[in-house]
Amino acid sequence: MQSKSIIQNPTSKIVYYMTHFEIELEKLKNVIIKIGKLAEIQVSESVKALLSEPIEGKEVKKTENKIDKLDVKIDEICQSIFALQQPVASDLRFIMAAMQISNEIERIGDLAVSVIKRSKNIKDKHDLIAKFEIGDLAKQVELITIKTNECYLTRDENNIGEVFILNRSIKKKSEAAINNIIVEMKSHSKVVVSGTNLVILLKHLERISEHCTNIAEYVHFMVNAKIIKHDKHEDLDL
Amino acid sequence: MEATIIETKTNFFSNKKKGVDIKGKLVVGITQVAVLLIIAILFVILGIIVYEGRAKFSWEFISSFPTNGMTEGGIFPALIGTFILVVVMSIAAVPFGTITAIYLTEYAKENSKIAAAIRFSVRTLAVVPSIIFGLFGLGFFIQFMGTGMDKAFNGGELHWGQPNILWASLTMSLLTLPVIIVSVEEALKTIPRELREASLALGATKWQTIKNVVFPGSISGIMTGTILAVSRGAGEVAPILFTGAAYYLATLPKSLSDQFMNLGYHIYIMSTQSSDVEKTMPIQFATTLVLLILTLSLNLVAVIIRSRIRRKAK
Amino acid sequence: MKNIKIEVKDLSLYYGEKKALKEISLEIPRNKVTALIGPSGCGKSTFLRCINRMNDLIPDVKITGQMLVEGIDIYDKNVDVVNIRKKIGMVFQKSNPFPKSIYENVAYGPKINGIKTKNELDEIVETSLRQAAIWDEVKDRLGDSAMGLSGGQQQRLCIARTLAVSPDIILMDEPASALDPISTSKIEELVHELKEQYTIIIVTHNMQQAARTSDYTAFFYLGELIEIGKTNAIFTKPEQKQTEDYITGRFG
Repeated sequence: MQSKSIIQNPTSKIVYYMTHFEIELEKLKNVIIKIGKLAEIQVSESVKALLSEPIEGKEVKKTENKIDKLDVKIDEICQSIFALQQPVASDLRFIMAAMQISNEIERIGDLAVSVIKRSKNIKDKHDLIAKFEIGDLAKQVELITIKTNECYLTRDENNIGEVFILNRSIKKKSEAAINNIIVEMKSHSKVVVSGTNLVILLKHLERISEHCTNIAEYVHFMVNAKIIKHDKHEDLDL
Repeated sequence: MEATIIETKTNFFSNKKKGVDIKGKLVVGITQVAVLLIIAILFVILGIIVYEGRAKFSWEFISSFPTNGMTEGGIFPALIGTFILVVVMSIAAVPFGTITAIYLTEYAKENSKIAAAIRFSVRTLAVVPSIIFGLFGLGFFIQFMGTGMDKAFNGGELHWGQPNILWASLTMSLLTLPVIIVSVEEALKTIPRELREASLALGATKWQTIKNVVFPGSISGIMTGTILAVSRGAGEVAPILFTGAAYYLATLPKSLSDQFMNLGYHIYIMSTQSSDVEKTMPIQFATTLVLLILTLSLNLVAVIIRSRIRRKAK
Repeated sequence: MKNIKIEVKDLSLYYGEKKALKEISLEIPRNKVTALIGPSGCGKSTFLRCINRMNDLIPDVKITGQMLVEGIDIYDKNVDVVNIRKKIGMVFQKSNPFPKSIYENVAYGPKINGIKTKNELDEIVETSLRQAAIWDEVKDRLGDSAMGLSGGQQQRLCIARTLAVSPDIILMDEPASALDPISTSKIEELVHELKEQYTIIIVTHNMQQAARTSDYTAFFYLGELIEIGKTNAIFTKPEQKQTEDYITGRFG
């Protein structure tokens, strides 16, 4: 007879055996954590590519393939669980959120690759970055992905709140930087090409941050059964 | 002008007025009267027997021999004779009846002619008047088998070819056979098919299933049947009239080829052929009382055992 | 071929004139759970009872075709049906423990097979009750009557009783249909554990149960096998329209 997986509840010290369905759910959770980590790495690489030197294209491609494969796998697992296990309540929310989160993560991966590609084409990159204070912004985008993975792991309200706050900050900084770049482009036609690329790149970074916010919303849904998609989040007590 | 609204209360359940159910009450009443009547008759009969017989009813009565031309003394030999009779009868009838019942329920096919023949025979036996059994016992057991045995073993000397306790018991066993078969069959039928299936599904043969599942479940039926048979055998007189009962024996029967005294027969003799009927009245009533107590308590034991076994199975 | 435990070839069953099973052909994989689903009267229970020849007990039944277990046709004339039933155990819809003690129920099978020593029997009883996930609940009252257990416990006891004769294949005929949801999920979890050692075939009218517990599913309708495949495929993209209609509740 197989050894059953044992969970110990840390608070009450009760030991119980996981049913094979719970084991399936646990496996799914681990796959999501894995794909989240890969996206985090991808974003970190893109920030590196932006702020310092260009990086290995082959590694990036490999990671992108892994992310895509895992996304498909998660969809298949979720479909199987829906059909075979008829999940309800928190299990149902978990599966629904899993599918959505996986999609968001896959897009984050794509966006990170776009950032890497685009940052190769920006002339005098480092001067521009320094001039428009993009370094901090990029670092914050790196941070938000880490925080998002954390919040999926911990399901903690505070972590969710941190993600929303970071997103607001990133958006503000990005808007400010874009305005400044446009002003600069209007007066110095030389920087138009680089400037435009930079603006598009900043928009990519903004999108990454938004996807992270979406993931945080789905985590909130999992925990609280409330759908807070499309909310402004300012009035939320987070 | 305001119209007065009269509210008619309509009953949610029905509009019928709550009336008296005369027919129902009448039926109940008649039934109650009938029950009371039966109980009353029973009490009257029992009352008379107890009243008339209590003088003679004692431990001495039960344990001593009749004396003085059977106008005094006790009924000990009759008691012992009855006892041996029912024991031998049970030894003959119970295994035979049980096996027949098991065959009928477990082995016989649905439309088997043999089973139908057996069932018909059992039903017929159950309604045959008991005196016929006595005649059969005389003709078959005593005159055919008994004399046959004497010819074969005793060189023609008369030993088995006459009335004795063996032939009387066998005759009685024929009488009580239907009771046993029916009781056992009833008990076997209460064993659900699923239990047999469960045993077979575990790889047991049909015989193993019968031995381990069916038979233990039939024990209550066997016991009930046996005790009913015994209580009948203790009281019937006609079958033993000319197959073995005697009205006076100085000693207790020592072997199966001896004759014996019997409670029921004793009452019959006392009331018809005694030398002094008046004097023996108390003895008759007391003997009747003993027989009644015996039969009633046997039936009570059957009921108790059956209910105990039922409770255990739950 | 090593993965196939039972191979059925054109099996048909007749109740007198009525044809209840029509040329069923399928393969049951070893050490997996195969579920048989279908509407009432479709023949799934009848088919199940063919596997351990319990239909032999019904008069007027005729069976044609082959049922090969490990390559041997169990309907061959030379095969002893009693031996088959020792290798192919069955758990019934309504639990049917013997009116004996818990211990005697489980020891019944081994005793029939000639095991007499108390130590051996004790060991078999304990192992079987553990495998059936009921040891902890009854270990202190093995001498008590089995009839005093709850419905779910009785059914697990029947499973233990079946396990005690060490079969290869376990047939389950709607084992949880008479039980409450908690007992049902216990039984389902048990099935999941048992499949490592045994090949399990389970008849159920509860499709969700088939989806939850089985690796392969076979859909029967009006005595015919309509489709058989991996449970995941049957419940996400069945090949036959009839199967899809039944699973989505459009009929049946």
